[in-house]
Amino acid sequence: MSNANEYAKPGEYKGADLLAVAAAREVNDGDVVFAGTGLPMLAIMLAQKNNAPNSVCIYEAGSVDGRPLDLPTSVGDARCATNASIAAGLTEAFYCNLHRGYVDLAFLGGAEIDKYGNVNTTVVGDYANPSKRFTGSGGNPDINALARKTVFIMVQEKRRFKEHVDYITSPGWKIRKWPSGEYVPKQEVYGKYYRGGVSAVITNMGVFRFDEEGVIYLDTVHPGFTPEQVKDNCSFDLNISKCKGETVPPTYGELELLYKVVDPEGIFLP
Amino acid sequence: MAKAQRATIQEVASLIKDGDMLTFSGFTIWRRPMALVYELVRQQKKNLHLFEVNGGTHTEVLAGGGCIGIWESCWVGHELYGKLGERVADAQVNKSFIVEDYSHAQAVARLLAGAYGLPFLPTACSLGTDILNPEYDMLKKAGKRDGSNPKIPKQKYVMYNDPFFDMGEIALMPAANPDWALVYAQTVSDKGIVRVNAQTYTDAEAIRAADKVIVLAEEIVPDEFLRRDPNRNLATDYMVDYVVECPWGAHPTGSQFFYDVDADFIRSFYAATKTQDGYNKWADEWIFGVKDYDEYLAKLGITRLDKLRANTMLGYSTRVKRGSR
Repeated sequence: MSNANEYAKPGEYKGADLLAVAAAREVNDGDVVFAGTGLPMLAIMLAQKNNAPNSVCIYEAGSVDGRPLDLPTSVGDARCATNASIAAGLTEAFYCNLHRGYVDLAFLGGAEIDKYGNVNTTVVGDYANPSKRFTGSGGNPDINALARKTVFIMVQEKRRFKEHVDYITSPGWKIRKWPSGEYVPKQEVYGKYYRGGVSAVITNMGVFRFDEEGVIYLDTVHPGFTPEQVKDNCSFDLNISKCKGETVPPTYGELELLYKVVDPEGIFLP
Repeated sequence: MAKAQRATIQEVASLIKDGDMLTFSGFTIWRRPMALVYELVRQQKKNLHLFEVNGGTHTEVLAGGGCIGIWESCWVGHELYGKLGERVADAQVNKSFIVEDYSHAQAVARLLAGAYGLPFLPTACSLGTDILNPEYDMLKKAGKRDGSNPKIPKQKYVMYNDPFFDMGEIALMPAANPDWALVYAQTVSDKGIVRVNAQTYTDAEAIRAADKVIVLAEEIVPDEFLRRDPNRNLATDYMVDYVVECPWGAHPTGSQFFYDVDADFIRSFYAATKTQDGYNKWADEWIFGVKDYDEYLAKLGITRLDKLRANTMLGYSTRVKRGSR
């Protein structure tokens, strides 16, 4: 395509396209990436076909460095194991890879997040008397705990961006030290196992990062939105003073890869 | 050493008693022992104690069927084909059974310790989360950690200071040794050697951790065949107690190199599970409305099943429509 490197204009791409593209750009070439189901899969597969051809993908069900011919719909999918270097199980993925320290980047989703990057995928309300249950943790907190960097991919809504999440499923920058339960920096809880933490949150409205105190701020706003609109879609007082401008939109080449190569069947990008 | 015995689905299901602790092979919507799970509902088992690394469609079948007393796990849903585990969620909100949450790696640590014959294994995964909040230890709140049930550890976890390398505090997770592992495998030998295709999930750990093991197999082959490539085998014969030959026994979940996930079936099951009435109607049709698994398969029909059949090279179906294009 002659204009593959040109940027698409607003209206020529969907919110999910920009989410996948912005997430793919977080991958450095050579990274070992541990990805969850859904948009994280699109992001790593796009990165492998574009900006990070030597990156490696691990799925928690046990496939290491698979090169799927067809997009998997979940991390346990038979498609994840195609051309893999290892098809083993969760012990391999969580202990021999993650706990041992091989994982550079985690790509994960979440239902709710707070200003310290703590994520809830478990319940709404008090856990002992909840009003609603989500799916539960899965491997989200394990992967996020011990990867060097984590990128969360989420939907931007006021009720999902909260001062405090109802339940800390996945650890952000300020978490609880048990058994006492006091809030302390992540490093204090993880000690010598500390390797890093949440580095970015990407939503359909913007890209967020964290300051030295571990507090979230708006880094870039997606084309078509204003920083104030993003702030209005958070329940806490979002810092928009550090916003660098607009998120770089997808190129025509990236969109072509997403729709023709990564998800030609229209599974996550209908 | 006792070798595995051949049995029927009805026979092995009748060996499982109300209150027994179970674990399963597979991962979310892949390689679940569905034919046996349906039979447990048909036989109206009660108060089962599930310990599973993750839940899936089979968990929802048991939850809706009123079979569960305790669910220890970390996740339930149907992946892309149903975003929540509605019957488990309903039970947790209405307190109709006990839900105890872990993370994946914590649950794996428990099963690994059980498989290794160790009382516990340490993990640094998921420290600082509410999974370790002592207020949320639901088995303790229910008075179940008093030592009277040998399958329930006296504490959910213990924080321990590494005495060897000063790595700091790490969580010790108690072993899980379920009464039963209910396993679906693609191939079992006539003596009980087990082989699965592609990812192994936590199947090897589940088989070793459990006191007794039932394997549903897509096919039973002569022992000699699996001994030609022993490096591809998951478990040896004396770890397995009962073997049932049950083609399509994982439907609607997937079985690598045999058949794909039946997405439409799971979607309609998920829609039904949004209410208990909906589940009951579904179960009347698909569990109580058929007398056994043969009738279930006949009801599904050859055309539907054939569409799911895996491509020999790829290991999954190329004939199912998965997306919008």
